Amino acid sequence: MLAYIVRRVLATIPVMAVVAMFVFSLLYIAPGDPAAIIAGDQATPADIVRIHAQLGLDRPFLVRFADWFWHVLNGDLGTSIFTNLPVTHLIAQRVEPTVSLMLLTMVLSIVIAVPMGVLAAWKQGSWIDRLIMVNAVIGFSVPVFVIGYVLAYIFALQLDWLPVQGFTSISHGFWPFLKSLILPAVTLGGIYIALIARITRATMLEVLSQDYVRTAKSKGVGQYAVLFLHALKNAAVPIVTVIGLGVALLIGGAVVTETVFAIPGLGRLTVDAILRRDYPVIQGVVLLFSFAYVLVNLLVDLSYTFFDPRIRY
Amino acid sequence: MSSAVVPPDAVAAPALPDVLPPPRRRGRVGTFAYRHPTILAGGALLAVMLLIAVFAPVLHTVDPTALAPARRLRAPSGEYWFGTDMLGRDIYSRVMYGARVSLLVGFAVALLSSAIGMLIGLVSGYVRWTDAVIMRVMDGLMAIPGILLAIALMALTRGSVQNVIIAITVPQVPQVSRLVRGLVLSLREQPYVEAAVAAGTPGWKIILRHILPNTLAPLMVQATYICGSAMIIEAILSFIGAGTPPIIPSWGNIMAEGRALWQVKPYIVFFPAAFLSVTVLAVNLLGDGLRDALDPRAARRL
Repeated sequence: MLAYIVRRVLATIPVMAVVAMFVFSLLYIAPGDPAAIIAGDQATPADIVRIHAQLGLDRPFLVRFADWFWHVLNGDLGTSIFTNLPVTHLIAQRVEPTVSLMLLTMVLSIVIAVPMGVLAAWKQGSWIDRLIMVNAVIGFSVPVFVIGYVLAYIFALQLDWLPVQGFTSISHGFWPFLKSLILPAVTLGGIYIALIARITRATMLEVLSQDYVRTAKSKGVGQYAVLFLHALKNAAVPIVTVIGLGVALLIGGAVVTETVFAIPGLGRLTVDAILRRDYPVIQGVVLLFSFAYVLVNLLVDLSYTFFDPRIRY
Repeated sequence: MSSAVVPPDAVAAPALPDVLPPPRRRGRVGTFAYRHPTILAGGALLAVMLLIAVFAPVLHTVDPTALAPARRLRAPSGEYWFGTDMLGRDIYSRVMYGARVSLLVGFAVALLSSAIGMLIGLVSGYVRWTDAVIMRVMDGLMAIPGILLAIALMALTRGSVQNVIIAITVPQVPQVSRLVRGLVLSLREQPYVEAAVAAGTPGWKIILRHILPNTLAPLMVQATYICGSAMIIEAILSFIGAGTPPIIPSWGNIMAEGRALWQVKPYIVFFPAAFLSVTVLAVNLLGDGLRDALDPRAARRL
């Protein structure tokens, strides 16, 4: 088990190396010369060459990559061109709304989608199965900002139940915090719920046709115990895998959701950075999100042994 | 391989009509529609959108970029079916023309990423020594969430439809090449491939004649889903201001322009949103139908 964990952790290193290489190349090939920007309009070519040397921009690609990578490992993601603040500082300011939004979305989606998928599989072919699957197709098709605007229009503008936009920190109380996140979380959850419900139904259908399920039924185990204890636990591995892979959708969706609901999170930071061409910030955010995504999927891999003890490495 | 393969082996089904039983009284089209209602519904909706895109200039539209400050922000009416935006442009005309960008991006990304992904997948699956390197690079690319990767690529270039297509294609390529690679790895162990190898058929010919045709059916299903998500990503990129240049009317652009005013003039956002959702729904229905038609085993499960 320990050997497996170590092996699995080591396997993420080449992946992160490729990500780091790509993210660095992004800044390397970005148009615009930072030295020229720093030097300003009055600079002579000699000034620019001097600043180039100062910043180390005249060194070869691999040397610069190694240097940059060393700084990243030490927690230094560079300085924002626009605000002149350290990128790590900007990210730290914006982490709370995004992390809260994504965690709430995950919990909400799993709580809704898994029972939906189980129900659809249990009542396979019935109207409720069809209804759930039609909803899943719609969840895949309606873009996240469309869901956001429709929900905000109904629940915030028309009914006035929830705030239209903005984010309230948890330090201002749990209830206002939750209220500010409900609409964004449901919005962001749309496609995620569709994804999880679909895989849950598919896997449950497979599991429910197994012999041990029939045995459990015939020895008189209750319907709910069969579904949730016997079947769902054995269907867990593919479901958990999809929950992990779906985090990529959540990250992309967060960028949009935060724009729709004016939430000052990492997604909004990304959008602002793009509009200002603030490459160090873009780089930092992409690197951070990718790292988080790899980490989540590493945890998913490690959880397999918990759900299915037959998996021993 | 022999040509007359009908299900159960769905991967071997080369094209749609072969999957169908011989026509009965209902006739070929009728049977097909009856068996695959989602293909029919999705196809019909998509056809309508295609017609809109092609015939946008004659669908009672005016110049979608014509400014008319005197007629700003008119609500939908008999004269302006979908109203006008904050620069007085006719939203109906803009939405009709916007279909062009969405469909172009959707189809181009689907074709491009399938072609590139297939090439990489074939090489990686068939030429053993390249596999480790190619798949590590693909793993790395897949570790960057797709929309974020597209956003990062758009940050490097000026906004143009062509760049949008490239930026959306790059994150899709690893998925396709993984799919194709997996198929190739299992196909190359098939007896008919071994027979071809034993008979001294050159490698390129085995790939082209025996392996490639069998990857097409699953690839087609995948390409349909890519088409749908490419349209959504194009709209997202344009919506956050990193996509199609504002001068070209696209559904994402119209929504981006309506964003500031959406609380008072929600129709600016809702009309393009409805068209985008319906189009993506059509493509996804088509994809579901194709999957069911091409792989009856998966049809029962999903």
